[in-house]
Formats: sequence, structure tokens, C-alpha cells
Amino acid sequence: MPRKPKGPKPVTGFVQTTVEVEGRTETRVVEVPAFEPPPWGEQQELHIVGARLPRRDADEKVTGRARYTADTVRPGMLHAVILRSRVARGNITHCDTAHALALPGVFAVLGPGDAPDRTRLFPRTIDYAGQPVAAVCAESERVAWRAAHAIALTIETTPFALTLRDATAPGAPRVRRKGNTPEASPLVASRGDIAAGLAAAEVVLQRSYHTPVALHTAIEPHGAVAEWEGEQLTIWESTQGIFRVRDNVARALELPLSRVRVIKQYMGGGFGAKNGAGPHTYVAALFARTLGRPVRCLNDREAEQSDSGNRPSTTQHVTLGAKRDGTLTAIKLTAEVPLGISGWEGGPAQFYHEMYACANVHTEEQFAYVNTSGMQAFRAPGYVEGAFGLESAMNTLADTLGMDPLELRRRNFTDRDPRRDRPYSANQLLSCYEQGARRFGWAAARRVPRSTSRVRRGVGMAGQIWPTGGGPPAYAFVRLNPDASIEVLSGTQDLGTGARTVLAQIAAESLGARFADVRAVIGDTQTLPYAGNSWGSMTTASVGPAVRMAAEDARRQLFDAAAAMLDATPDALESRDSLVVVRDTDRSMTFADVTKRLGDVMIIGKGSRGPNPDGLAIATFGAQFAEVEVDTATGIIRVLRIVAAHDAGRIINPTLAESQLEGGILQGLGMALFEERVIDRFLGVPLNSTIHDYKIPVMADVPEIEAFFVPGADPAANHTGARGLAEPPIIPTAPAISAAVAHALGVELSEIPLTPWRVLAAMQADA
Amino acid sequence: MQLIVNNRRYDLRPVPSSTLLDVLREDLALTGTKRGCDRGECGACSVLVDGRLVYSCLTLALACEGTSVLTVEGLASEGTLSPLQQAFIAHDAAQCGFCTPGQLIAAHALLAQVGDPSDDEIREAMSGNLCRCGTYPKIARAIREVAQTRAQGAGDAA
Repeated sequence: MPRKPKGPKPVTGFVQTTVEVEGRTETRVVEVPAFEPPPWGEQQELHIVGARLPRRDADEKVTGRARYTADTVRPGMLHAVILRSRVARGNITHCDTAHALALPGVFAVLGPGDAPDRTRLFPRTIDYAGQPVAAVCAESERVAWRAAHAIALTIETTPFALTLRDATAPGAPRVRRKGNTPEASPLVASRGDIAAGLAAAEVVLQRSYHTPVALHTAIEPHGAVAEWEGEQLTIWESTQGIFRVRDNVARALELPLSRVRVIKQYMGGGFGAKNGAGPHTYVAALFARTLGRPVRCLNDREAEQSDSGNRPSTTQHVTLGAKRDGTLTAIKLTAEVPLGISGWEGGPAQFYHEMYACANVHTEEQFAYVNTSGMQAFRAPGYVEGAFGLESAMNTLADTLGMDPLELRRRNFTDRDPRRDRPYSANQLLSCYEQGARRFGWAAARRVPRSTSRVRRGVGMAGQIWPTGGGPPAYAFVRLNPDASIEVLSGTQDLGTGARTVLAQIAAESLGARFADVRAVIGDTQTLPYAGNSWGSMTTASVGPAVRMAAEDARRQLFDAAAAMLDATPDALESRDSLVVVRDTDRSMTFADVTKRLGDVMIIGKGSRGPNPDGLAIATFGAQFAEVEVDTATGIIRVLRIVAAHDAGRIINPTLAESQLEGGILQGLGMALFEERVIDRFLGVPLNSTIHDYKIPVMADVPEIEAFFVPGADPAANHTGARGLAEPPIIPTAPAISAAVAHALGVELSEIPLTPWRVLAAMQADA
Repeated sequence: MQLIVNNRRYDLRPVPSSTLLDVLREDLALTGTKRGCDRGECGACSVLVDGRLVYSCLTLALACEGTSVLTVEGLASEGTLSPLQQAFIAHDAAQCGFCTPGQLIAAHALLAQVGDPSDDEIREAMSGNLCRCGTYPKIARAIREVAQTRAQGAGDAA
């Protein structure tokens, strides 16, 4: 029997709550919602939530009707391009734009010193290769490029620092005015007594690992269209956060927030690189204001690969102390992370603090700014890198102890958040280990003796944690139109993850409506209530509860209206399939019967995301198992099979959620085998800023993937029982593949990507 | 020049350096065909020219004079989605959807050439179309389903 929503109570005020965002814990003060629906527990009977419904916008995507930023055409639109530096560091001593401006079809040029300070665009100093140095606006992109190349720049080059060692050496070039290391560096975190933990160890393992700079490589480059109508600026932007773009632009151009409208309906992938306004946004807005015409500015592929964010490289020095039975007594990490010219301290350490029960953990992360383009969050930032280090070390420790790596992990499982010593809202990591291993046939695969043939097989595994419960603020309205078509209104966005679909599912379920009647309207800051960035795997667990509450509120109003029409009390009503039914009778009305009688008197439910539960850690867990084949003559690896078992609480739409798992696994596979940005160490310029040279997986690289969620729900996390799931699947893939290669060859591996030459070198070093 | 796109005839005067992609997107407003790299690496711009699969970003428009071009907008006929489009929806073979038009065209070309391709043939034929969301397993499944349904249909007819 569907539970009745509680009636509205007065707002009780504001409370403090914590929200996990991309591995960082943020404290927020939020209002307590007027009422919160009772949680959907594990046994809750649900019909639309949990169903494998087709993606809501699939039709638009397969017909070419889905309109992406680059497809947006405005009347009189001009085109802007950005000229970028080809040197790593220097001073612009002269800039001649006369030839560029003289070309027919050129409207304007922005050169060094021409942009408002707050945009930080086009300074006279160059800090990295790929930095924007000028922009041109013209009648077509072609003309704009021709003009951009006609700009004559004189640059006095200066020494640069590319590595953490370069940047922290005595007499290093001054990478940033305030210093070459962030204030927080080195970032030190400890629990217990690391010296005592190492002293108590019967086995001590010391290893070093390296992870590469990886590029997001969304197939749709960054882009924006800007148009002014009087004082009002509208921006169409490919972004994971429409409100953050609005805030960035308003601040940079010193505009009230109400004057900036940001729209995003479709985007071609983000993966963390599209979390705010960028140079292209400001360039489009500035030219559009000056010229009084709409302006489009799109990154080309080279800009996309060289200056739109990256996952920074890490070097991780790991020491593990353990008892002979595998019990960890000490985990120690010293890490070095060169961030590029900008970024935040998204290092590998937290994974070391959170993954295992170990009383003594000590981590030190050193960060530095260097003269390469700035980092941005990239799917599970820090945790991907940390998992490669710690999970690789755990696999080697298992070998050293003569233990099954899976058994080693079970032995060090923790059912409490070890970092802050608090219980989890739910944790099914052991089920992931168990079910993943069973489906993979782990025990049997481990027993196969290592072959001595040219092509050898091996298996490996790794686990994963990712703190992701979502959180406030997020708001939604649910509106019933006079014909009983239903709209969910929320200023969130769908990156291709399926937000449009799952939010409509949650609303339909809560309201008792047919899924076909419900449409999610998202992606517009001017007309929709606030929702945060779609980062940190947060959207479903943040916006979902707000949508459910709005739908419950709408249903309460609907029942109030229908009660008199059905000669019943609202308490006696229930709804299903867009039908209001008087319980235990045959009296009913369709939603449309009710709304038609109401006419234009609207039913509008309002919902907000309540605070997170106090004293609980909320995280998503998983384990992946890989089988590979390695050609010992060429060093070429073929991943044959991945089995992935993940725990993300309630799954709103299993089909869409599995797509996220497969996608994460394939990005992890790319990182394990191919992906690595290469910088010329003498010139400081990137050498592989194309998709030809920066390899990402193609269909021929895809192994057999069996990716699934262990059943369950997490009603303690929020009242929908869902947690985040988009980032977690990339975390354990690379260490699982690396372990499988190590198993196949009987060598240790310490660096990804496992290019053929690295594999051959590892074999030679071992021989 | 004359160009037939999705069975409609156009008279066009592209500048000599225009690519077929430029003409489709800018002149004909057929924005289903995407630009991901503009250098023949990603496959988002895939179209058929007289039945031949090409990267439209590497194809000069003038070289297509008198040809018949098929883009994603031409796959559905009279409002009915093609079997491939339907299978893409059924198998969730589009995440962000940006590469999807190119994937559909490449799959269409494959099935036009090879009636019932093996898994390896699908993998090879589709490897010129990149998908960063990692939708490949579901794209492959959708193609396989259409091929098998068609092969069965052909078998039944014979």
C-alpha cells in the first residue's frame, strides 16, 4: 500500500549539513524542508522507479534532432576563435593585429590586455602552452582563423617548470605570483601511529607508482553561444553546471545574476571538464556585447586536448605494513602531484584513508603549479589515481604473503568509515567482492597455471570506494497542466547520464502517474529553480529527493482537489497510472478528469533536497575483475573480460545505470592501456593534442563486460534510497587490468598506461 | 553544384575549401552530423556519399557534385524510425548522443555491405567512430540485433 505523504508542517528553520563533492567534504547551511516523504526502504514496492525504461531523449539523439551548443544558430550570429600560445612561458612584447583586422569579414580582435581583468583572459604574460593570447570575431569561423593566424606576436620566452621537481627546485621559475605550491601543500593527514604500525608489521612492502596526465576527450569540444538583448545576456553552453556558468559570467562581467541566463539542453560529454565558464564563454560574451550580435565560440580539437582540463599525473610512494595473515598494520603514502598552472588539491590520499580498516595511516601529498595547462576534475578525481597506487600495492602484498588478493581485501574490509570513525549509511562491498568473484569464476581462474607460450593470460582484481550521497541545495517543481500532462521543473542538467529519464521516473512513481505523462524540463537558469553542478556523481541523489518531494506535494494537492469530486476524504485516496482511486471502492477519476475541472487552477508541487543524515558516511562501493591476454613478443595487451559488481543503493533505471558502469570501465581501460598526455620536455608544448595521437578506446578494444549492481537500497542516505554511481566504475579498472597483466607475465608493474614498450621493459627488467 | 541530400535536391555554391560537413551543417542546417575533431579522427561526421561511408570533415564539398548523400536526418522514412534507430533506443546505445549520428551511419553502411556481420566484423567496421561515454557494448548489441532480425527475415522469406 502506498504510504500517505505527511501533511505540510511549518518550516523548522536552517541546519548545518555536510555534502561530499568530488572527494571534498563541504559544509552547508540549508533549510529543513516543510515535510519529507518517508523513505523508500529496500522492500518498498515500486513500479516505475527501478524499471528498465528507455532513455527519455533517445528519440532526439537517434534522429539528429537533439540540439547541442554547436548546433545553435542565432540570427546574425558571428563566429569567434581563440589564438593560443605555442610557447610554455614568456612575455608578449608586441602584438600587431592590424593585418587581422584588415581582412574582409573580420569584426573585432581582442588581444593582450584587452579583456576585463576578472575574465583573466589575454594577459601579457604566458604561463603555459595552449594559453589563450588573442581572439578574433568574424563572419565565419574560417575567416576568423585566417585572421587569427595573421596576428603578429612577439614573445620573449622565459624559463619554465614542467615537473614538480622543476617547480620546487631552488631558483625555479616563478610559475605563479603567489608561489609555486598551493598554500595547503604539503597536505598531511594521519590517523593512529604510523611508526608503531610499521613496527608491528611482520611484512613491510615499499613500492612506487606513477599515473599519467589523462585528458577528458569529450567528443563534443567546449563551446558557447552568447547573445545580448539590451542588458540581458543569454548563453548557450555545453556545461555540467548551468548555474555555475551563470555565476562565473556574472562575476567576470560584473553583472547581476538576474541578467545572465544560461541554457543547456544537450551536451556531448563532460566527464568533469565542463564545470564552469571558460575562455570560449567570456570571448563569446565580450564580442557579442561589443558588436551587438550573437557570437558563437567553439574549441577546436587541439584546444580541447591541450587546454580544457586534465587529470594530473601522480607519483605515489607507498609503504604497507601487514601481519602474516594479511591484516594491515600501516598504510603510508608520499605523493607528488604537479597540478598544471591552476587547479585544486585533488590528490590520491583519500583513497588510502578510506578503503581499508587500518589503524595507522599517514599520507603526505605535495602539490605544485607547473607551466602546463590547468587540471580539472576528471571522473573520480584523486580516487582513480589513489586506487592505482594502493590497489596495485595490495595485489603485490597478496603475492608476497602468498594470499588470494580477494582474501586480503576481505580481511581488511571495514564496516565503518575509518577516516572519521562513523558508520556507513549502507555498505555492500563484501557482496560486490563475493558476487563479482562468483560471476567471474575468480577462484578457478586463479588456479590456471601461468603459461610459457608467447601469448599469456592472467587475471586481476581491485576494489573501490567513492564518497557520494549527493546533498542540498536542490529544488524542483512538479506541475500538472489542465490536460494532466505533468512537468518536472528543475535547473539541473543531463550530461548523457540520463537525468531527464530518472527524474521523470521518480516523479511518476511518487505522483502515481503514468511515466509517459511525465516530462522533465531542465537546463535553464532563468526559468527553473536551482540545482547544483552535475559533478561528484551527485545529481540523482541530490535532485531526486527534491523531485520526489515536489511530486508528493503535488499529489497531496491533487487528492485535496479530487476528494470533493469523488465524495471521499483525501486520506481515502490513492493513485496509480494517472488515476485517483478511492481505496477499497470502484470509484475513481483520471488525473485529467480532475485537472480539467480545475481548469487553469494549477497544481504545483514544490520540493527541496533536505539535509544529509548526521553522523553517517555515505559512499558507493565496487569491485572489478579483469582477464587479459598479453603478447610477450610485442607487449600488446588485450583485455578479454571485465566483471564489475557495484553497490550504489537503489538503482532508479538499471539499463541507464549499467551504461554508466560500462562507460566508466572503458575509460578506465583507456587509462590502463593507452591514455597519456605527452609534453616535450625541451619546449614545454604538448605533443599529442589530437585524438589520433592521444588514443582512447575504440570498439575493437572493448572486452566482454559483465557489469551489474548488487541489489539493495540506502534509505538512510536519503528518502529515495539512491546514491551516486557515475564516477565509481572508472576507479578500480586500471589496477585490475594492471594486476591481470602482472599475473600473466609474473612481473610487477608500476606505471600506466601499459603501452607495449612499458610491458616489454617490465619483462626485460624482470629477466 | 548540385547535391542530393536525404533524397532532396539542392543547388549550392560552396567556397572551394568548404568541406561536405560545412555545407551540411552551415548551408543546409542539417546539424545532426557532428564535428568532433575536423580532422578525420573521431567519426562523428560520418555520412554516406553514394552509399560509401566517408568522414564528411575530410571530404571537399565540390568533390561531391552530383552525388547522393545520406545523413542521420535521412534514416527515418515518413516519421518511422529505421530498425537501427529503434534498436539503438531499445538497447540504450546513446548516452550523451553526440557521436550517435555517426555511429548510426557507420552501422547503416556496414549492414548495407555485410548482411549478417560477425562480432569481429562489427568491431572492426565500427572502430572509426569514437564514443567517449563508452556506449560501444550497447551499440554492438543494437547492430547485432538488427542484423540477426534481418538475416532471420531473409531466411524465412527463402
